[in-house]
Amino acid sequence: MDATPLMKINRNNLEGKVKDMAKSKEELLQQLSDCVFEMEDENAADAAKEYIDAGYEALDGVLKGLVDGMNRAGQMYEEEEYFVTDLLVCSDAMYNGLEVLRPHLPLDQDADAVNYKCVIGVVEGDTHDIGKNLVRIMLETAGFEMYDLGRDVSLISFVEKAKEVDAQLICLSTLMTTTMPGMKEVVEMLEKEGLKDKVKVMIGGGPISQAYCDQINADGYAVNAIGAVTLAKELVGMA
Amino acid sequence: MNSKERLLKALKGEDTDRSPCICPGGMMNMVVTALMEKANIHWPEAHTDPIKMAGLAKAVYDYGCFENYGVPFCMTIEAEQMGAVVDLGSTVYEPHVTGYVIDNLSEWGKLPRLDPYGKRAKIVLDAIKILKKDDNRVPIIGNLSGPVSVAASLIEPVDYYKGLRRHREDAHAFMSFVTEGLISFGKAQIEAGADVIAISDPSGTGEILGPRLFDEYVVTYVNQLIDGLHEINPELPIIVHICGQMHKVYQELNKIRADAHSFDSIVSIKESKKVMPGKIMIGNVSTYALEFADADRIRVLTQKVMDDGSDIIAPACGLGTKSSLENIQAMLQIVQQSSHEA
Repeated sequence: MDATPLMKINRNNLEGKVKDMAKSKEELLQQLSDCVFEMEDENAADAAKEYIDAGYEALDGVLKGLVDGMNRAGQMYEEEEYFVTDLLVCSDAMYNGLEVLRPHLPLDQDADAVNYKCVIGVVEGDTHDIGKNLVRIMLETAGFEMYDLGRDVSLISFVEKAKEVDAQLICLSTLMTTTMPGMKEVVEMLEKEGLKDKVKVMIGGGPISQAYCDQINADGYAVNAIGAVTLAKELVGMA
Repeated sequence: MNSKERLLKALKGEDTDRSPCICPGGMMNMVVTALMEKANIHWPEAHTDPIKMAGLAKAVYDYGCFENYGVPFCMTIEAEQMGAVVDLGSTVYEPHVTGYVIDNLSEWGKLPRLDPYGKRAKIVLDAIKILKKDDNRVPIIGNLSGPVSVAASLIEPVDYYKGLRRHREDAHAFMSFVTEGLISFGKAQIEAGADVIAISDPSGTGEILGPRLFDEYVVTYVNQLIDGLHEINPELPIIVHICGQMHKVYQELNKIRADAHSFDSIVSIKESKKVMPGKIMIGNVSTYALEFADADRIRVLTQKVMDDGSDIIAPACGLGTKSSLENIQAMLQIVQQSSHEA
């Protein structure tokens, strides 16, 4: 998925605009946020239309409505009240709402803004991609431009894609013990190409641990999708 | 006491001279590259040839790795029989599903019924028959992929998991269909000579599903599977392995009618013994350590797992193929020593 819906948003322009808005905008934002948080994926598009029809800024609708809802869901996931299946349905609601809001978003006019780009995929030999998909969704929610290579990805593709799009981050995932060594190979390829400092490598998945991360000289390990967001921001220096 | 008596007794909670040390096979991979070289039987050929499959399973026992035979060496046969496209992998990678069959849960009726006597399913049955002829002192574990894992190999998993919440009627019909197929394959394995059936359902983890969906789908269909297998032999021991953290679903897990449970290394055997009284615990020596630590460390870890009260000593998950034979043998050696000290 090379589309980058949430990335096209200039996050610097929105602070302080909501304060003097009428309460109804807040209500509508709350409604958007709740649609995502409460997994009402079928109502999210309508809520987004209602918001746009009322004449409010699409940008706020995304960040203070949909993304806010997704972040609240992420919080619940961390507290083990929500589970992976819940987050998947929440993200459907978010994307449904986004589809309505996207055409109303201002174009990316700020050429100086840093685009944080991340290549993600499940390493060669493994096709379990639930965890990877969730991390992609949460990183996208956090504002990363995501390049998802899918599953069973040949190891060289990670490096090639990172070079092609000038990514700052590679996320590698696997659920199988037998495919873990592929992560090490990706790190080594980056070292060989002299890209190790420029492109950070983050790893995760069932059998992965911090010890393995240290051993293969990857830049970070996250235990779940929420941890992945914090770690990714830290690794690329995103405020 | 021979390996077979010991394992069968241990699975029923009866007294044994010491704990068995096993690795079931299937998702719980017990084959490493070093063993393939010793036996001169390699993946992926061993996935499609009954003589090679039996030979490699036997090598696991003969080279002092584990006290059981186990087939197959992957968890893709069931899905393949129901139409999924499988890449058979390589010497290091296990077979894995690369193409799904249906786009939508409601299309489950289009799936071919699992033929337990066709293609690679037959390879497994033939391998079991070969092993059975060979020796009757080593227990043969037949392996099945769990209902959720097979289902999530037939349809894009994200769509599958969402469907479990949104299209419950279709989801249940689909799961029943999958489970019936698994019962037929499991029964055929028992008829071929499997002494134990191990069901591994890594995709059915509580971490993904949460307690409610775990109860509604994993518990329901794993039990349906177990009951179906027990129609052939009500006493046939069943092992269930589920990946990931368990603390959110212990209550639901207790409803599963398995004799024994196997867990990831993240699960504390002490804790699970406490909350699952009467269940036999299998596990759970870290596969990470088995691949990356040295034999001394393996001895310490194995001893700890025994001290924590694990009834049957086993790796916590499938072995990485690059694990050394020395490490795996160290695990068995320390378990064997325990009988002299006891």
